[in-house]
Amino acid sequence: MRDETGRAATLLAAMPLAAIMALWSAGGQDVGRWTAVEVAAAANDADEALLGRPLGLAFDGKLLYVCDAQDCAVKVFAADGRFLRTAGRKGAGPGDLNFPSGISVRGGSIYVADKSNSRIQVYDAEGRVLGGFVLPFRPDRVLALNDGTLLVTGNPTGRAASEKLLHLYDTAGRLRWEGLEASVSSDRIYDAFRNMIIVCAGAGGDFYVIHRSGRRDVLRFAASGGLEDEFEVDGRHAFLPLDLPFAGPVKRLLGFCWAADWDSGFLYIAAPEPVDGRDLGPGRRLSVIEGTGRLAATLDLPCPVHRFTVEGRRVYAVDEDGGLRIFEVVR
Amino acid sequence: MKKLAVSALAGLILTSAALVFPTAASAAVPHTMDQCYQDYQECRENALNLDAPWWKVTIILTVCDIGLGKCALHL
Repeated sequence: MRDETGRAATLLAAMPLAAIMALWSAGGQDVGRWTAVEVAAAANDADEALLGRPLGLAFDGKLLYVCDAQDCAVKVFAADGRFLRTAGRKGAGPGDLNFPSGISVRGGSIYVADKSNSRIQVYDAEGRVLGGFVLPFRPDRVLALNDGTLLVTGNPTGRAASEKLLHLYDTAGRLRWEGLEASVSSDRIYDAFRNMIIVCAGAGGDFYVIHRSGRRDVLRFAASGGLEDEFEVDGRHAFLPLDLPFAGPVKRLLGFCWAADWDSGFLYIAAPEPVDGRDLGPGRRLSVIEGTGRLAATLDLPCPVHRFTVEGRRVYAVDEDGGLRIFEVVR
Repeated sequence: MKKLAVSALAGLILTSAALVFPTAASAAVPHTMDQCYQDYQECRENALNLDAPWWKVTIILTVCDIGLGKCALHL
């Protein structure tokens, strides 16, 4: 008994203070260790089914929509991964796309961030064009928050003062709100990383904002743009440092999130993983975070994923080769 | 000494990159600053959406910066 106590004391003394604080803040509660098994996706023979550069995924409960920036199209798959059809083609006319970088589905409408045409395009579930509107910037991601509000994100250009990262529009293209000012310094490359954010649609029109590096606080906004909540993610979802090259004084990025999604009250945050010893790339471990920031579980996927969307126990993901993967979560 | 050699080598590589990498500035018609910035923004958006490891993205963003400099100077 005395030996066990002594061993525990030695272990505690050896633990970094941050880890002790993280354990203490978690209240000693257990963290689930979830895994995932791959579900055999249906075979797709059509050339159209191949994904060239998939940058966005959206699932509406029945169908999976993938925007492919290389093929300039939205590719629609059944829940089992069977390819069904495409919407859009390369161009600048109505319904055409040029570098689609984000996609969202709500109420039977598909919203696509048409980056190089600086606009939002809207299709119905069959791929017919419903309309769209032009933006004064190149959109990065789009989220349909409720039937009347779209969140559009954009990367700052660095040419104007006080550029905002978040923009709320109504479906007619009228700007309702802008917020979250971009970080600006004399180093544009460092700023580009610091301003990389991921947005996830939450419940009731809310949305979450997660910085990909440097910050572990998650912001929750209402569909009106009001900041509802701000919480820190559990310290057990650790930062991964990366020293940027070519900088005079060393600039260190703290990698935090490669991709993220929200489902059924949990935020799923994919941590970056070290690549070749000194770089950071996509990871295979997702941290499952409660609304308070507590780490509820870790979810280990069979392979690193670039982007993913969670729907109940299913994870639809894009792997490192741009292939579509479907996983079933085992809790 | 080692630091100096590394700096010199990095400078050489960057200069070579600046001269070799094609940019819109290589077109016959000189670009306005607005056009330079448009190309620059396209280059950056492409880099940020590459999904590549971050060190590689940094290098590509650096090339975008060099491209902007070349375009602005009509090189």
